[in-house]
Amino acid sequence: MSKIKVVHYINQFFANIGGEEKADYPAELRVGEVVGPGMAFNMNFKDEAEIIATIVCGDSYFNENLEKAKADVLAMVKEQAPDVFIAGPAFNAGRYGVACGTIAAAVQEELGIPAITGMYVENPGADMFKNQVYMVATKNSAAGMRGAVAKMAPLALKLAKGEAIGASCQEGYMPNGVRVNFFEEERGSKRAVKMLLQKLADKPFTTEYPMPDFDRVEPNPAVKDLAHAKIALVTSGGIVPKGNPDHIESSSASHYGEYDIAGVMDLTEETYETAHGGYDPVYANEDSDRVLPVDVLRDMEKEGKIGELHHLFYTTTGNGTAVASSKAFAAEFSKKLLADGVDAVILTST
Amino acid sequence: MKLEMGHIYIKDIQFAAESKIEDGILYVSEEAVKAVALEDEKIKSVSFDIAKPGESVRITPVKDVIEPRVKVEGRGGIFPGVISKVDTVGSGKTYALKGMAVVTAGKIVGFQEGIIDMTGPGADYTPFSKTLNLVMVCEPVDDIKQHDYEKAVRFAGFRVAVYIGELARNLTPDETKVYETCTIKEGMEKYPDLPRVAYVQMLQSQGLLHDTYVYGVDAKKVLPTVLNPTEIMDGAIVSGNCVSACDKNPTYVHLNNPVVHDMFEEHGKTINFVCQIITNENVYLADKQRSSDWTAKLCKMLDLDGVIVSQEGFGNPDTDLIMNCKKIEAEGVKTVIITDEYAGRDGRSQSLADADAAADAVVTGGNANQVIILPKLDKVIGTLDYVTKIAGASEETLREDGSLEVELQVLTGATNETGFNKLSAR
Amino acid sequence: MQNDYIIITNNPLVPEKIGKTHNVEYKEISYEEVLRAVRDRIHEGHTLLSHPLSGSVKPNETPYKSIMLSAGKGEVDPRSVVIIENAIEACGKFVLKSDKYKREVYDDFQMIDWTLLESAITSADVW
Repeated sequence: MSKIKVVHYINQFFANIGGEEKADYPAELRVGEVVGPGMAFNMNFKDEAEIIATIVCGDSYFNENLEKAKADVLAMVKEQAPDVFIAGPAFNAGRYGVACGTIAAAVQEELGIPAITGMYVENPGADMFKNQVYMVATKNSAAGMRGAVAKMAPLALKLAKGEAIGASCQEGYMPNGVRVNFFEEERGSKRAVKMLLQKLADKPFTTEYPMPDFDRVEPNPAVKDLAHAKIALVTSGGIVPKGNPDHIESSSASHYGEYDIAGVMDLTEETYETAHGGYDPVYANEDSDRVLPVDVLRDMEKEGKIGELHHLFYTTTGNGTAVASSKAFAAEFSKKLLADGVDAVILTST
Repeated sequence: MKLEMGHIYIKDIQFAAESKIEDGILYVSEEAVKAVALEDEKIKSVSFDIAKPGESVRITPVKDVIEPRVKVEGRGGIFPGVISKVDTVGSGKTYALKGMAVVTAGKIVGFQEGIIDMTGPGADYTPFSKTLNLVMVCEPVDDIKQHDYEKAVRFAGFRVAVYIGELARNLTPDETKVYETCTIKEGMEKYPDLPRVAYVQMLQSQGLLHDTYVYGVDAKKVLPTVLNPTEIMDGAIVSGNCVSACDKNPTYVHLNNPVVHDMFEEHGKTINFVCQIITNENVYLADKQRSSDWTAKLCKMLDLDGVIVSQEGFGNPDTDLIMNCKKIEAEGVKTVIITDEYAGRDGRSQSLADADAAADAVVTGGNANQVIILPKLDKVIGTLDYVTKIAGASEETLREDGSLEVELQVLTGATNETGFNKLSAR
Repeated sequence: MQNDYIIITNNPLVPEKIGKTHNVEYKEISYEEVLRAVRDRIHEGHTLLSHPLSGSVKPNETPYKSIMLSAGKGEVDPRSVVIIENAIEACGKFVLKSDKYKREVYDDFQMIDWTLLESAITSADVW
């Protein structure tokens, strides 16, 4: 049986080219070379698999030339036609983690080649890509290389062979929103008693089913004088001027838009639309007021129910957008809203 | 209260002219057990069969699984308020026939469910592939109503289990375990430094085929109350539940409730196991509020430090589970909950129909939507007719080669929510 | 006539049993559509009285569902909203097979749905 073919992606640092000063190093394919952590992987594969090529790319280069770098690396991987693609591990290096996640997800999705990566759980790349590719949780520095490779290598082999992948706690990947059954060592009641003992002693314990993340926000006190309040509209429903001038993505938005509606009394089919890809857009495109109620607020403005409608609105698509990104967007435009003397915001979703 | 449990290990079951237990072998007179089953005129006919671990046998549609027991000393008898007279049980001495079970099967409704495979992949999931099973398939008289039929089969199973249990009355147990809990004051004095812990058991109580009985009382109609944990070992709680095979609690699970047994393991060492609290899972939302209020109130009144809450069933009980957890936690009592999951066939859906941040310690019995292929087995006890109609299966379930493509849901006890199994999910 | 609550159902057995004595809104719609109809009423200010996922028979397994709502309207009850939304979401988890049974099985499904509702009625009528 021939060996499983692996292509390995690493950054300039792990390729021993240099640190930050060499981060603009463009993507480079080294056929037949095993570089840096690749050695550890090859050792771990024993005779089952081998790295047939290593792709080296600077972190700044990758992130600043995202589309080109991604296309170049994909072409290199495609040419090598490996059975599995490994990126990293990136540990706590933020831009390296994002690059690993981006390229591993792209290889899997666009080339249909199974891919894995590994990084520290707090690496920003983790939140962004852990649900798209198998991502092994590593320590926060390269000192954890041995442990990381020990988990990544067998998982890569399983993926290459098309074997069933076990639960996250067995295989060492970060929970990815897919629940997988497996048999525990002890029965459930015993596990429950042990968990209770830990909880009673205020010692750490790990729930087997984390509740969905509730990021509850305490509501502010009600607006006392609505008739003199300045109200702004914000939406995650993707309403944008026709043509989507700032190219807000239909899902996993990377930015938000700020648009002036001074003098706009009604959003019409000719002037506004939605960029959102997560719901049927027909009714929103027909009349965007259905998502961003400018018309009604203009009426209320006229009737004196509210003081005024703020002349700018903020918009993005909530569809698949990372919570961290959403928080960052809001942190930024909330400052603008405050500076503009806005008293209250109506936030609409879909 | 103190109960001595004598375990008698059954190594084999055989049909014979006379019913008896000798050298760990249970000999069953078919004629005698038939007579016991047919005491109820609503049952037209009954057939008995034996299924052993490892045999190529599929039992379906399973209704209940019961472990035969006999009360040899102390107040009351097995299944008080159901088979024996009403009397408080849980003290004295009881013998249980270990390694075997009485399994009732028969079609009560058209979508009747429950499969026990004695071999193959299905056997890994159902705990009752490991017991020697005396299976009884009951046919009702014509034109019987579903609820009458359910009751008839439920009682027939208990009668046969009690009949078998009686055969052990004069035997010497292979092993004896003593379970003892204290009164409130005794416990405070005896274990002043141990955390006070209880088990909160939610009982299925939604209506026909979804019922549980406590000393014969329909659990829908009880307010949350306190049990001595040994009471369940004498059959204080029995199952009338036939729906959702994977996560319903057969009577066997009530008798051998694993939370009760594992809490007893720690009793006097790391915890003071104060009591068992039972509550229900009614359909009416105001009932849920009342019951969860009461459960939390009892936890507070008993000065508990921690509880484990177990669930039974899908959907509606998720709401009770979360309400109980939230309210008990709000009383400052630390809570661990046991549930199972319906995360969809791909595992990507939200597992429970309710959620709360207070439920930060969850034990799961696995995803019941997981698909499993059950190969054709040589023998079927019961009928495959209904397999195609059980939860997690459909008329299209039967594949060309005779194998079944089903979800874990159909396997009796597969994702039990009292923590009976090792199956879990992440 | 019982006027404290409304029953929204697609189970023909319900109007047959209590159509004359209770406020039954029978509609020939799907299980999920019953849940959505109930959600709309909750948005109008009705309160959910029985659990929409009553019974261990799963959505898309049984085609029938009967749900009890308050007849009176008030402020939108947030708890009702959460329960009904979770129930609607749960429908998506189960493979549709409620259209694949033999004729007589539907009678049993109707009977079970009715008994679940009956247990809610028993509780409701205490008041």
